[in-house]
Amino acid sequence: MKLLLTIAWRNILRHKGKSLVIGVILFTGAFLMTVGNGVISGMAAGIEKNIINGFMGDIALISDAQKSDNILLNMMGSSIEPITTYRKIKEILLAQPYVRRFLPVGKNLAMLLDESTVTPGYAYLLGADFSEYRKMFPDNFTVIEGSYPAPGERALLVPAFARDEFYDFYNIWFLPEGGGVVKENLKKEALADINSLVVSTSVVMMGMTSGINTTSDIRFPVRGIVRYGALNQIFGHFCLVDIESYRECLGYFTAADMSVQVPKEEKKLLGMEGPDLDSLFGGDAMIVRDYKAAPKLRAAPAAAKTAEDGVYNAVFIKLVDGVSYKEALAKLNRAMAGGGTEVRAVPWNKASGPMGGMALIIKSALFIFVTLLFCVAVIIIVNTLTMSAIERSSEIGMMRAVGARKTFIAGMFLGETAILSAVFGGLGIAAGILAVKIIPLLEITTKNDMLQLLYGGNFFNPLLSFSGIALTAFQLLVVTVIAALYPMRVAVGITPLDAISRE
Amino acid sequence: MNIIEIRELKKEYPLGNTIVPALRGVDLEVEEGEFMSIIGPSGSGKTTLLNVIGCIDFATAGSVTVGGREITTLSDTQVTDLRLNKIGFIFQNFNLIPVLDVFENIEFPLLLMKKSGAEARKRAEKLVEEVGLKEFAAHRPAELSGGQRQRVAIARALVTNPEIVLADEPTANLDSVTGAAILELMRRMNELEKTTFVFSTHDANVLKYARRIVKIKDGLIEKEPAAA
Repeated sequence: MKLLLTIAWRNILRHKGKSLVIGVILFTGAFLMTVGNGVISGMAAGIEKNIINGFMGDIALISDAQKSDNILLNMMGSSIEPITTYRKIKEILLAQPYVRRFLPVGKNLAMLLDESTVTPGYAYLLGADFSEYRKMFPDNFTVIEGSYPAPGERALLVPAFARDEFYDFYNIWFLPEGGGVVKENLKKEALADINSLVVSTSVVMMGMTSGINTTSDIRFPVRGIVRYGALNQIFGHFCLVDIESYRECLGYFTAADMSVQVPKEEKKLLGMEGPDLDSLFGGDAMIVRDYKAAPKLRAAPAAAKTAEDGVYNAVFIKLVDGVSYKEALAKLNRAMAGGGTEVRAVPWNKASGPMGGMALIIKSALFIFVTLLFCVAVIIIVNTLTMSAIERSSEIGMMRAVGARKTFIAGMFLGETAILSAVFGGLGIAAGILAVKIIPLLEITTKNDMLQLLYGGNFFNPLLSFSGIALTAFQLLVVTVIAALYPMRVAVGITPLDAISRE
Repeated sequence: MNIIEIRELKKEYPLGNTIVPALRGVDLEVEEGEFMSIIGPSGSGKTTLLNVIGCIDFATAGSVTVGGREITTLSDTQVTDLRLNKIGFIFQNFNLIPVLDVFENIEFPLLLMKKSGAEARKRAEKLVEEVGLKEFAAHRPAELSGGQRQRVAIARALVTNPEIVLADEPTANLDSVTGAAILELMRRMNELEKTTFVFSTHDANVLKYARRIVKIKDGLIEKEPAAA
């Protein structure tokens, strides 16, 4: 082995030009792969951190009747099944020591109704108690215009990203009540049109569920415009609304409904076997456009007394730090099934659908890119080593003549490639690790939404795990072996006679 | 005792659509410890005969026994091991491994034989001394003259204590003085190590060193002229 490696090493030094070409290719491939893995790992960790800390927690409870685990970014119009057992759920969650905090929410799609045209637009509505939401996600967004709603206030918070999209649909620039146009926040097209800019401080939305005719048109007063700390491209699709308004919009039974016990005779009078809940709300803050639409009663009215007795679509849960993710899921599922809650626990990456899978998609894209890079590297290395084998026919043939077996010749070539891989590939990995360590020190931040997707947040923080480094090393090993196979075959095919004939 | 026995050896090379016969039915016996020269003009079949004896090339027909083993039936690995353990080669172009120094080149076959480091070193040191290259032991082949390189090749051929050393025109690329020195060295080694030497040449001046001369012409052994 020592002899073999000695010859291999000295041959590398003897053919410096060729060795350098192969080495540079291996260095570049290893460096790109290491940094790429770091970027992807950082992105995945960033997305995970932002989604868990700022959007939905570690785990979501969803109805057993819900077919797909993906409740946040599902297909347009696909409704999320209601949860009507929050009281029981709350009791169970309070008894779980590994649960740090939880928040019941409503989540569904709503159609924006334009009062002057028929063009519809869409937005996700996230219904929650504002004060509870702030406790769960204290710093996930900043109110850039208007103010955060007071506890119990009926209001809508519109993300800046959603406002930009609404402008694309309607050419209406939404403002918080009492607020003026802030030029710095205007979309480019809106700024160009500032002299004739149409503004509005309320949005009319109609909840969309599979039984679309059961929902109501609600005018939401805009209380504030918000910008998420990161990932506005994703989170910016979700308008935050108070839970009672949300329920009205979606045609769910509200807690307010139950504050007035309607006598049976009056129900008959109102035709409320399936009562028209819209008719119970007539405040200035909202209008009911379609009085004929009869919302479906989904919760047992006799039990409902507070907001918590109404209908939700999910419960977001944050776990105590350090708690095993899988164990918590299993325990929650057991507890929920035992409590007759008719809900199940799903992890954040499943509940958030494409968001959770985004890292995997980008990782796959990078993997394909690096694979192509390595394929090119393999071709160049194979060509260079094969040429080297042919040029050294005389030397190889002589070695065979004095008694070197084919395995020795093969080992010599494999040794040369392995040394090049170890030296240059190792340097590439080391340089990659160094780059991944240095990049966070540069404190690169961005407000660009697309870059935030790549960064996994607003801070470019690539991370490297041992498995990422091991993956790169393994890929290098594969490249080394594949690249050495054909030249080895050529070299072992050289006979002593070939050497003599060449002379 | 014959260390080499050749019977009805034929070797043909395809050249396009025609077959070129290089050896047409050679019969030859070589005894242990001989210092024998094969002579003949260019194209007579000297190199082909040496190549077949050395298991570098293979017979088209006939039988070749080297050290008691019929080589025409051996596998590649067996043939390689035979070359390593029983045969030493000296090439016309002093083929040495360019990345190894003199000492390492001589030691190379011993390391292929998996000899221990100490044993290999001891044997290589002895040979380096015998061929007079002690002061050049750390030099690479590119730093040596033609005669010095050929002496390294001789030492490498002898380092494993082979039963036979085959040398194909070992002095062809050397000046007459260096060539004579090389032949003297080979003969001395023959006397010292009792190794069988078979070498080819078409240089009449070389013949005086041979104890037995075999003449080959057109692929056939003609007659054996008297040795010097």
